Amino acid sequence: MATVAQLPVERARAPRPRAGLRRRLGADWHLGYLFVLPMAIMVIALVAYPFCYAAYLSLTRKYVGVPPVFVGFENYVRLAYDGFFRRAVWNSFVFTFASVGVKLVLGMVMALVLTSRIRYRSLFTGLLLIPWVAPTVVSALNFLWIFDASLGVLNYLLVKVFRILPQGVGWLSEAGTAMASVIFVNVWRGFPFFGISFLAGLKAIPGELYEAASVDGANIVQRFRHVTLPSLRNIIIVVMLLSTIWTFNDFAIVYILTKGGPGGATQVLPVFTYEMAFGAQRLGEAIAVALYMLPALAMVIIVLSRYMRRSHAR
Amino acid sequence: MKREAIERLQTTVAYVVLGFLLLLVLFPFYWMTITSFKTEDQMRSLVSMFWPAPFVVENYTQLLTKTDFAIWYRNSAAVAISSTLVATAIGTIGAYALARLRFLGRAFLSSATLITYLVPPSILFIPLYAQIRTMGLADSLAGLIAAYPSFTVPFVTWLLMGYFGSIPEELEEAAMIDGATRFGAFRRIILPLAAPGVLAAGLFAFTQAWNEFLYALVFISDVKQRTLPVGLSTFITGDVYGWGYLMAGAVLTTLPVIVVYTYLQRYMVEGLTAGSVKG
Repeated sequence: MATVAQLPVERARAPRPRAGLRRRLGADWHLGYLFVLPMAIMVIALVAYPFCYAAYLSLTRKYVGVPPVFVGFENYVRLAYDGFFRRAVWNSFVFTFASVGVKLVLGMVMALVLTSRIRYRSLFTGLLLIPWVAPTVVSALNFLWIFDASLGVLNYLLVKVFRILPQGVGWLSEAGTAMASVIFVNVWRGFPFFGISFLAGLKAIPGELYEAASVDGANIVQRFRHVTLPSLRNIIIVVMLLSTIWTFNDFAIVYILTKGGPGGATQVLPVFTYEMAFGAQRLGEAIAVALYMLPALAMVIIVLSRYMRRSHAR
Repeated sequence: MKREAIERLQTTVAYVVLGFLLLLVLFPFYWMTITSFKTEDQMRSLVSMFWPAPFVVENYTQLLTKTDFAIWYRNSAAVAISSTLVATAIGTIGAYALARLRFLGRAFLSSATLITYLVPPSILFIPLYAQIRTMGLADSLAGLIAAYPSFTVPFVTWLLMGYFGSIPEELEEAAMIDGATRFGAFRRIILPLAAPGVLAAGLFAFTQAWNEFLYALVFISDVKQRTLPVGLSTFITGDVYGWGYLMAGAVLTTLPVIVVYTYLQRYMVEGLTAGSVKG
């Protein structure tokens, strides 16, 4: 009897704390937390925790298979005076800025060509996108073969077919051409992404804007400067920042084409990190190399994520 | 008249530039393909440069019988498919929650997802390697299957957040007024509508896992456990004799991606993936 009498009271009371939770945690908190739980576990286990552990390891002297010894900022200080590290930093900046700059121009050209009056537009768009979807390793190996000093087709074309050069060039083995060659391959692989992104942006520009500009007497260059560029401003910023992150951290192309050579001429930070970690087995210092650029990277990521969230919300 | 002439000039310029771009983009693939059908002699003596004569398939038979290529192919398929299934499942429900459900911490988690997506592998590979080792998964395909969601989950989630956001909220509300629970509305109304987007996101994740190089290089040292990109890169040993079967391997490695991509092109052109495919 007692239990029966209590039941209605409990029923009336029960929703109250839940209503409080609903108010505090949001209307869909049950399903919401359930659905994000796997993702949250994964991000913590595979990104957040390893990242924090890495930050700690960078403050230690750590060799593979041996427990770390805490040394404070020693790794960072030593790197600051390390000529190889400084060279890799400089090379990384050259590699990144040159690549992103050329990709921006080529990508814009690609987008403009694909929006002009041509036939089979979607076929051509598809073909031009192939470098972006093909495995990077395959592309790097293709160019390793094309650039080959004695049997490569590039030297064959330049020396035997077009007779532009008297003899072949060791594109990847000479300090003067190696950096330009790896930049070329990165541009080749990355410009279609710029092109396809700008193309999507160009399609969204209302035709009336161009007509109005034409009526006002604007020529094609002026229309590009005063209609196209301002309309694409956000896309250009997002694509350039994304590409800056990806290019700065591009490992496969440089690793396969030159391994950082000749004599460190193309040594960039990701390859330098890899060699320090798995060649020299100096893990603490290797992570310090990777984390040195973190403040700059974090800034780019914060600015970029603002822009990306804004365009996502639209 | 004058305007017509200008337009014709513009079109001509467009075709010329397009031709140049196509040549630039397609030549390496043409070169890869014809190299894979050449003999060593043809390569070494620089004859029949632009079309192999005779046209031989021995590079392919050698590749499949005398190297571990077939094993690597199976490894790559196993890793890419398993990690993609995991990532797509986790990413789909996560994206739905972040795009639609109201709960405390949603904004923070959305930002965290995007930031995770943007953190490059070159910063994560050493600590992730340490993590995989402590989990006892070093030198195994399971280690890669566990690690790849670190980039495919944030990617799939980010992509599908936009996709779910574009499905009208009224559909769900109507179902819930008719008595469906939130989960029921998701399963019976939203998920079927989002199926093409989920498939596309999954296929993008598959190509990323298929193409991945750095983690596979670092985590795996056993020759029999290698994936295709790492396996192919080990064919460069300094001698010229490898180019034929190396290029045959490159062709076979590229094919699945091209097939998948003919389906995905529509999504890429529509800009669904602006800032998507990592490279």
